[in-house]
Amino acid sequence: MGDLKVVGKRVERVDVRAKVTGGALYAADVQLAGMLYGKIIRCYDYAHARVTSLDLSDAAECKGVIKVLGPKDVTQREYNASVLDMMVSADMRGVLGDIDDQSIFTDHLKHYGDAIAAVIATSEAAAERAAEKIRVTYEELPVYLTAEASKQPDALQFRPEKPGNRAFELPEMAFPGNVYAWGEVEESFSEADFIVEDTFYVSKQKQCQMEPGSYIALYDDQQRLNCWTSTQMPKLVQKKLANLFELPMTRVRINATVIGGGFGARLGMVLEPETCALAMAVPGRPVKLLSPREEDWLTSPSRHPGKYWMKMGFKKDGTPVACDAKFENYKGAYYVDASGTAFTTGAWLGGMYKFDSLRYRGESYYTNQSICGAFRGYGNPQTNFVMEQLVDRGCTQLGIDPIEWRKKWHKTVGDDGWCMGVPYNSCALDECLDRAAEAIGWTEKRAKYQNQTGVKRRGIGVAVMNHTSGAMPMLLEHTVCDVLLHQDATATINLACSDMGQGSHTTLRQVAAEVLDFDYDDVHIATGNTDAAGFDIGAHASRTLYVGGGAVKQACEDVRRQLFDRAALELEEDAANLYMEDKIIHVKGASNKSISVQTLADQGVNNFMNPENGELIGQPGQIQGYASFFPPHNAPPFGATIAEVEVDMETGEVKVLELVNAHDVGKAIHPGVVEGQLDGGAQQGLGMALTEETYFDEKGICLNNSFTDYKMFGPSDMPKMTNILVENPDPTGPFGAKGVGEAGIVPPVGATANAIFNAIGVQILEAPITPEKILKALEEKANVS
Amino acid sequence: MKKHAITLTVNGEERDLIVPSNRTLLDALRDDLGFTDTKYGCGTGECGACTVLVDGTTSINGCLTLAATMDGRSITTAAGLARDGDLHPVQQAFIDNDAIQCGFCTPGMVLKTISILDENPNPSEAEIRQGLEGSICRCTGYTKIVEAVQDASNRLSGLGE
Repeated sequence: MGDLKVVGKRVERVDVRAKVTGGALYAADVQLAGMLYGKIIRCYDYAHARVTSLDLSDAAECKGVIKVLGPKDVTQREYNASVLDMMVSADMRGVLGDIDDQSIFTDHLKHYGDAIAAVIATSEAAAERAAEKIRVTYEELPVYLTAEASKQPDALQFRPEKPGNRAFELPEMAFPGNVYAWGEVEESFSEADFIVEDTFYVSKQKQCQMEPGSYIALYDDQQRLNCWTSTQMPKLVQKKLANLFELPMTRVRINATVIGGGFGARLGMVLEPETCALAMAVPGRPVKLLSPREEDWLTSPSRHPGKYWMKMGFKKDGTPVACDAKFENYKGAYYVDASGTAFTTGAWLGGMYKFDSLRYRGESYYTNQSICGAFRGYGNPQTNFVMEQLVDRGCTQLGIDPIEWRKKWHKTVGDDGWCMGVPYNSCALDECLDRAAEAIGWTEKRAKYQNQTGVKRRGIGVAVMNHTSGAMPMLLEHTVCDVLLHQDATATINLACSDMGQGSHTTLRQVAAEVLDFDYDDVHIATGNTDAAGFDIGAHASRTLYVGGGAVKQACEDVRRQLFDRAALELEEDAANLYMEDKIIHVKGASNKSISVQTLADQGVNNFMNPENGELIGQPGQIQGYASFFPPHNAPPFGATIAEVEVDMETGEVKVLELVNAHDVGKAIHPGVVEGQLDGGAQQGLGMALTEETYFDEKGICLNNSFTDYKMFGPSDMPKMTNILVENPDPTGPFGAKGVGEAGIVPPVGATANAIFNAIGVQILEAPITPEKILKALEEKANVS
Repeated sequence: MKKHAITLTVNGEERDLIVPSNRTLLDALRDDLGFTDTKYGCGTGECGACTVLVDGTTSINGCLTLAATMDGRSITTAAGLARDGDLHPVQQAFIDNDAIQCGFCTPGMVLKTISILDENPNPSEAEIRQGLEGSICRCTGYTKIVEAVQDASNRLSGLGE
């Protein structure tokens, strides 16, 4: 391709002018004529209860109320708000055991804030006033907040098809012995010189995207169901809603509004089913549903918390012989994607190091917590917290430098990636580790921080990760892209990929401009309309640039091919003998023979006959490019983080001083976009390691579903940040690019935990690592010694 | 509930409206006047997405302010910053420093920045970070926002590019 003109440049993002002036329309900003407002009535008294009576009559009489809907007034079909069932074959769906277990409203309330009924009124205030008039009585049921509690034989069963409240285990048919494994683990452990083993807890972190869930639905006069939502997955939500309301896809339209942050919270559906059910009850009237922050917290999925046991065996020289692990997650009230995270948590484990043998078991148990689902990293931060701490415990016992050990034993090109049978085809992790170590002064600081005695002690720790670009081969990967070449030689790229704010529409436009050899300003990315756009899985699994970009590249190459074919006819030359420069197609070695893209594009649209000879002037037909793209690989990105912390031994407080993130990104299509992903990922990774957890009391009442009581890293908490972009082009990515959307959150988790270990000499087994846990661990250590 | 006839000057234009006592400035701006560039993020004054400027340069949370108390005051939202199509230097700095991702916090961040720089035209990095406390961004890790504020400070004091 030669010198790149647009790719790799810090072009102005496509969406920032609208965002900086406030003109960008998020779902809550959309106002339609005759708008009605919905309010869902939820149970905030119990986390597990049966509704014994429900009286909606007083609410129905309230001023401004149009309709009140109970469980029997809406579709009785059950659904699964997540989308994994649409990403696997029908056979695999059966094997995995994915089920539909959510209802629009229910009389069996399974978590704090579960939905009972709804009011539709002429204003939000009227709907809220009426909601308070609903009279409900409950039968309280026992509350199970952990897998350990809900798996007890006498526990009340959440679903008849999931005995023992086990929503998911790795299925025998796909994973013999219900394990993801290679080698003979027991045998390998017998060869180990020493073993490290512990049970960890990983926390229920919340995405905290800035935009609370907002939805509008309208069942219009053409009997079409329209839904305005900032979903990450317009095409899958379109199909999900079509299934739920038994409509053909032609009668469901998603208007994908600007997304105010996703991070997985808007993967699949959240309150789209409820909003559409309200709209179906008042045909012809749009219904708006605005979730307050506290409601959004309880109704959108969180990260999967749970107990994570792991055991590693090493030889004296550091050889990793075996790893055995089990993650039992606290799934929450509904199935959602019980299968997905339970598997991938082990997949990231399997993709990292060259153990002779490895065995992982992943199980999901129903609990009376709010639901869990996708959150940036999808199991990887959990594995990072556990795996990387155990590796460092091993390195400490071995007396081996943690960076040297990782460089020696991480998987690389040719080794199986996170999915066995799909080997890595690029890996620059060694360079990431070397450059990060150099940038932070690893060797000097590691030596300096030995044998500290003061109140404030410093530590430095490292962690690495592997991730993915798209979810093939486990899940369907497919994006359709149309390119319309206008008569003025500009192009509109039509596809369904959402931009969550990470900048994917910008990078897709860069790919398009580069392939077409057009200026960045000559290309427009059109999205947001499921009527027009072909299939796309949606924004998840760090896939949009890798797979969406692959589709854009292929469709733009189709346009180029057509331009060259037409130029060949016009110039009476072989297409192979042509080249394009500045939108002019030239004949190689004949400077006077050329035709402009402008001419070809215009003649395609405005095609006329020469009245003198009756022949067409130029080639007729508007040029359109098309791709229905299935990527050949999943181009795993790699990354390393080194963290430096200072721990106060008297208060247990941790201050993160510096973070260096070095990531193998393939090719940075837009360096600013990539840096933004690493910066933002780090803020969330630090939160997972140190402050972020959703707390419930013993009754299952959530204690901190608000920004007031849930602590995220703020501007003054953030450390000095350095990002190092290692560009080692992947052979399958567009211009060598790999996905970076999730990578940034992962290694800061393990690196921070390891830096604390380095500072205080003891590991904290529960995330987040709060001052209380540090003091307790220090006290226990003092008591032992 | 008692209702109040009030006049707000929003982005330089005088607007008369009648609000009940409990109407927040945020709801009045968004729902009564259509200034949807002011965002609801939490409703409890924690996130700063609803930040607006009062009488030029004082930033407040629209969600914690009752509209009736703003009678006669001048309110600036993000939609009112550009002049004849030219963005405000702070807006341009946010664009040029890649400080915008999902954009939901951006209008509030930009307005907060104007108030920070009005109070202290040349803040240190620590002062910028301190000033931004109360404005949550979940996308950027604040790095590029801090850089944007520094850049805006330079531009406004004539030191910029």
